[in-house]
Amino acid sequence: MLASIVSYIPGWAIFVQAGVALLVPLVLGYLYKSLYLLVGSGRGQAGYGTRTVPRSQAQSAAGAKSGTPASIPFSGNYTTDLLAVQKAIGANSDLHIREFTIANGGGRGALIYVDGMQNDRILNMRIMQFLMYEIPAGPVSSAEIANQLLPFSQLNEADSVESFNKSVLFGHTALLIEGLPGGLLIELPGGANRTIGEPVSEALLRGPRLGFSEVLSENTSMLRRQGFSDQLEMKTYRAGNTIQRDIVLAYMKDIVNPELLEEVTNRIRKIDIDFLAESGYIEQLIEDNYLSPFQQVQNTERPDRVISALLEGRIAILLDGTPFALIVPVTFSMLLQSPEDYYERWLPGTLLRLLRFAAAFLALMAPSLYISFISFHPGLIPTELAITIIKTRQGVPFPSLIEVLILEIAIEILREAGIRLPKPIGPAMGIVGGLIIGDAAVQAGIVSPFLVIVIAVTAISSFSIPMYSAGITLRLLRFAGMLFAAVLGMYGTILFFLLICCHLTKLKSFGVPYLTPVSPFRLSDWKDLFLRAPMALMKRRPVMMKTKQDKRKS
Amino acid sequence: MFVRTDDKITATQAAVFLNNTLLGAGILTLPRSVSESVKTPDSWISVLLGGAIVMLVVFIMVKISQQFPGKTVFQYAAQITGRVFGGGLCVLLVLYFIIIAGFEIRTLAEVTLFFLLEGTPIWAVILPFLWLSTYLVYGGINSIARVFTIVFPISIMILLISFILSVRLFDINHLRPVLGNGFPPVFAGLKSTVLVFTGVEVTMTLVAFMEKPKLAVKAMLGGLAIPLGLYFLTVVMVIGGISVDSAITSTWPTIDLMRSFEVPGFFFERMEFPFMVIWLMQMFCNFSSFFFQSTLGISQIFKIKIHPIIYAMVPVLFLSAMLPKSMTDLFAFGDAIGKMGIVLFLLLPVLLSVIWLIRVKGLKQHV
Repeated sequence: MLASIVSYIPGWAIFVQAGVALLVPLVLGYLYKSLYLLVGSGRGQAGYGTRTVPRSQAQSAAGAKSGTPASIPFSGNYTTDLLAVQKAIGANSDLHIREFTIANGGGRGALIYVDGMQNDRILNMRIMQFLMYEIPAGPVSSAEIANQLLPFSQLNEADSVESFNKSVLFGHTALLIEGLPGGLLIELPGGANRTIGEPVSEALLRGPRLGFSEVLSENTSMLRRQGFSDQLEMKTYRAGNTIQRDIVLAYMKDIVNPELLEEVTNRIRKIDIDFLAESGYIEQLIEDNYLSPFQQVQNTERPDRVISALLEGRIAILLDGTPFALIVPVTFSMLLQSPEDYYERWLPGTLLRLLRFAAAFLALMAPSLYISFISFHPGLIPTELAITIIKTRQGVPFPSLIEVLILEIAIEILREAGIRLPKPIGPAMGIVGGLIIGDAAVQAGIVSPFLVIVIAVTAISSFSIPMYSAGITLRLLRFAGMLFAAVLGMYGTILFFLLICCHLTKLKSFGVPYLTPVSPFRLSDWKDLFLRAPMALMKRRPVMMKTKQDKRKS
Repeated sequence: MFVRTDDKITATQAAVFLNNTLLGAGILTLPRSVSESVKTPDSWISVLLGGAIVMLVVFIMVKISQQFPGKTVFQYAAQITGRVFGGGLCVLLVLYFIIIAGFEIRTLAEVTLFFLLEGTPIWAVILPFLWLSTYLVYGGINSIARVFTIVFPISIMILLISFILSVRLFDINHLRPVLGNGFPPVFAGLKSTVLVFTGVEVTMTLVAFMEKPKLAVKAMLGGLAIPLGLYFLTVVMVIGGISVDSAITSTWPTIDLMRSFEVPGFFFERMEFPFMVIWLMQMFCNFSSFFFQSTLGISQIFKIKIHPIIYAMVPVLFLSAMLPKSMTDLFAFGDAIGKMGIVLFLLLPVLLSVIWLIRVKGLKQHV
């Protein structure tokens, strides 16, 4: 009895392997945790320092910072204030201070503005004329009185010299008048910007040809112009420690889940960085898991896409200075949807959507399937096909992994080069790179012609994904899949697929599981997953967003 | 609640969880093991009968679990019978889960080595699988249930397609005569058909995780009915396809069935490949489920945090998988697991229910 039990005790080699089995997850888990804590700490928890403040509070918050000498309030004395402004920002050569005397009453005043931000003619002719000759007599003693007296549609009072200076340099035209306790900001900045065009990264055949521009106010106005509603609410926040920028949160007041809104607001408030150059900065600062290869925030240039997302109960984040708006939360299936699915009739929409899912699968898996079939299990594909492929591969001196890597990397380099090339050269480069190199590689016997087909299909598939950034994720993961396939063949490929499944089920975007509605299973949301059900059937908003009101129809 | 922080699963998820826990190695081996003991084509009756018995067992398990809402068997066993005795029972259950997990992963490795990766060292197959499962189990019951919901429809679909395509081999004469030797062979087959449902013990922990424990009976019986139906289908199609005699002699009769017909004009020609794919994924679910149950058990019996136990469990599971020295050992191992299952069934739900009934109804104690 004892002997038979002893005979089952495995040898030392097995115990060493068991040790390895323990060690690897321990090390990986430790690495993951320490990397995660290094950057991701405090994300999504309320009450961890708030840096970003609503714009209305921005000035007072700036004033509250101790130790900055410029945070002095206006003294109310014209000469002192003007001197303070001059001392602080007068060194800028593009700053103009035009002093004048008011004809009626004889008070002094100064118009302060920056070059290039305003229409100079109007400023000089109209405003100066009014200020010098038409302004009614009597002291302008407070902002309210100024509001009534001065014929400007936009009139704000700055309460500290610092915020006044910032606004002036940002492009506001400002006014200091003797007797007035503060500075007045009278004109909005109108710097140079491009004309509004069709979004480059999300072109559609059918749909509005309107894309966001770099100016925040234009972008918000585009959202407003989508239709009449009194429920579209936009809140402005200002973020950035060195250079501040405006962030706008847009949502439908009566639809969005208040808890989601609070969560997003919380994360926006925690942004602590000296400058937000693009909305990608915000995306990376507020996302749930920075170690995941999958994006947890959707970006788009299309106002129509934003507005329909808002109607699903999601929240848009717009940043000044970039045409890319962010939409949260996002799930995997949304990355494969295009607005066109809804603009076309439901049958073509469904077909295109299914096609995209197939393309995503190919873009991710095709090279790994090729490697596992060719190197490990030629017996699993039809014999004739296997013979054909093996015949064409006869002269190829590399194992299939190297063969695939050669072409894959060449394609990736071509793609990267194609973005930077000037437009007239781009297509020529494509022909040289794609056709000639591919053909020559086959002729030279470095790769097999079948592989060229596989790689071409993969590349085209990854272009068919409507979100560019989602395409990058799949490109990245494809290489990981190829390694799995090269080591363990089909078994490795299945493990790779399961690994992605495991990762995706753990991933959340602002509390929404990334794979909803597949898992957790939400049957009513399946109408808009692989299929795009006819409009008449889509009566309710997505369940996963837990909206306040869920009926789309009255 | 927009952000969910509780570890609860819905009734559907619970049903899928149970289904994926049960549907595993049996698909490949059941036709052989049941035919070996029945020796007549009546094995399908054995499957149905065994399924009915297991349904009854599950019913008892759900009922006793529902008396302790939010508590798993590892917690309420101690409540019913006292810490030492209950703890002992639960340790047995955990050991049982560990052994099943080892058995599952070893079966997987053997099949993979035989069909897909000849000549690869066995640890190279087992270790990545084990690590991946660790990653999944680390995410808790919610992640596991979600992965199961993804795998479940894929495997059901491909299984059904495979069986539909194998209809061309199906010969009803292979299934005749019905009850040619009367009932004794059917009862002889019960042993192996009950074994195929080893792992239903997870019911006693699943109920605790359900959002609405009232739906437990429905969910669990539903979760049991699907693998029962599939096992029934497997036995009927395999025996109808390749006859009882070849089912007995073949090691993996279901794969033999898949290999024995070709689908012309289809990319794969043979259904063997997609079948292997879903079977591997199913085994992954299977294994992860037992992995999770055993860590949960240890954590709750000894009141330790679950995450260190997950790590500690990895080498234990690996050793448990490496214990059998050959295929014969492995199958003997499987039989032993079945017997353990019956003993554990008598010990846990039955004994617990009886003691609970005596204490609450008889002695009017408050448990």
